[in-house]
Amino acid sequence: MSGTLTIQQAGHAVVTDLGRFKGPRYGLPVNGALDQFSARAANILAGNLDNDPLLEVTALDFRMRADTDVLIAVTGAPLTLTVGGRECPQWEPVSVLAGETVAIRSINTGLRAYVAVHGGLEAPTLLGSCAPDTVVGFGLKLSAGTALGARKTVPPIKQPYFDLPLFRLGLSRPGISARPVIDVTDGPDIAEFGDTADLLFETSYTVSGRSNHIGLRLGGALPERQSTAEVLSRGVPVGAIEVPSREELLVLHRGRGVTAGYPVLGVVTSRSLDALAQARPGDTVRFRKTTVAEATARHRAAMRELEALRTSVNTVFGLLGVGAPASWRELKPASGS
Amino acid sequence: MAATPTPVEVYESGDAALRVVATSPDRERNWAAVHALASWLETADVDGVHGAVPTYDSVLVEFDPYITSARQVRAFVLLGMRQLDFVGAPARTPRQFDVPVVYGGEYGPDLQKVADHEGLSVAGIIALHTAKSYVIRCLGAPAGSPMMDGPDFPLPVPRLKDPRLSVPAGAVSVAGRQAVIAPAAAPGGWCVIGQTPLTVLNADKQPLVPYMPGDLLRFHQIPAADFARLAGRELEASA
Repeated sequence: MSGTLTIQQAGHAVVTDLGRFKGPRYGLPVNGALDQFSARAANILAGNLDNDPLLEVTALDFRMRADTDVLIAVTGAPLTLTVGGRECPQWEPVSVLAGETVAIRSINTGLRAYVAVHGGLEAPTLLGSCAPDTVVGFGLKLSAGTALGARKTVPPIKQPYFDLPLFRLGLSRPGISARPVIDVTDGPDIAEFGDTADLLFETSYTVSGRSNHIGLRLGGALPERQSTAEVLSRGVPVGAIEVPSREELLVLHRGRGVTAGYPVLGVVTSRSLDALAQARPGDTVRFRKTTVAEATARHRAAMRELEALRTSVNTVFGLLGVGAPASWRELKPASGS
Repeated sequence: MAATPTPVEVYESGDAALRVVATSPDRERNWAAVHALASWLETADVDGVHGAVPTYDSVLVEFDPYITSARQVRAFVLLGMRQLDFVGAPARTPRQFDVPVVYGGEYGPDLQKVADHEGLSVAGIIALHTAKSYVIRCLGAPAGSPMMDGPDFPLPVPRLKDPRLSVPAGAVSVAGRQAVIAPAAAPGGWCVIGQTPLTVLNADKQPLVPYMPGDLLRFHQIPAADFARLAGRELEASA
């Protein structure tokens, strides 16, 4: 059975997924959840596939009313989550009863939160993804009154014995800091910056208010390109660090234009792109040099954590009968299957 | 020709991408090679490889570092280059696109600057820009822009020192030895010399833009008075 969620206060929320991976071939950025770890974790905690459509809530307060019983999970930046006025934990599945309001307030450290709804949300797709593309003008627009389709409803889950937290799933939450250290591998054009490339690792940078999902602009000591030869446009990776102006460093994020003609000084690792997704204007960033091998190892370690979480969630949801006709009330001792 | 594979260099570009650059002395061969490699990667549909972004002489190969790795993708790309027979690639008949442009003024704020840089008159810049058909080399940013070789200007055109925060849809720009039309409004660091009234991108259509790499595009000058009359008409192939 499907249900609906009615947006009461949209803030800067969007419905998104992990991204439009077929887009770059056609000149469209990948886009999708900027903090991929938190987005995946939210979906896993809600019993979904990693790539199911979910809400990305950026900076501003957000409220929606569930018109049916649903199961949600909220991850990402620390915040105050209330459901029907009760304060509820982040990074855990939470039952929402029909008529209750889910409110997100006080995102003060970090910038982006993710709200996954069991079964996923209904959203139109372009090249297989619902991720908004602000340049093309694609994406579901949310405002007060928008009715979001939830693909499934879930009867309320209650602790049968004591008033204990339902789930202790043991995921280590990513630390979100106003002074993040960002891992960077050498870019393909680092030689063009000569000795000035090292400046990147010697000083700190301040996140500018003009930063967005396309790229973060950072003020600080700028490495300088040593040549002035024009380069042919080429595909640039998400995470590319460029020095396109005399004022700021640019770190491209998931909304980046897929081609550019600026030399790529360094590339932020997949793990650190999640950390940058949580950087607020005014935050101080330091860069740390790493290698592709180390970056790959860190990414894989994080993904293995998510796999372990999925196993725990599947076990718990299986016992509770989430996503299946049975519920814990009907469980019989030693039923065998 | 091409009994030997087109030589390439492969550069690390973070933990989730590689840049492959074709390095033969023949620009056309390099272009054909990177596009053939991109098509082959798409057809091969290798687990963990998201896709490829081919441009002029390079291709960015993007992958999921949980499923595969830079080392594996590099090996696979080098293998592919050996397998591919670029000369035998089927030639698609290119379509022709004609693009009306209002040059200069509010439509092309950098036209005079480009003329000064090239040591030409404004009329001379327009004459060179409209003088030939351009091969669409690739779809780029923003939003599937048709990226082409530049006009036969005497000098490469420098990019703006401080890129604009927004360039309107339809902007006709040049930079280096390249030319482009912006299908959608976006930030831009290229010199804008004109604007077309035609609509290039239709987000409700598949594909979003009407052209493909290999198609031909030609500009012609129209007076500013015609801009409003043509505004909103969709760009379509003329042949």
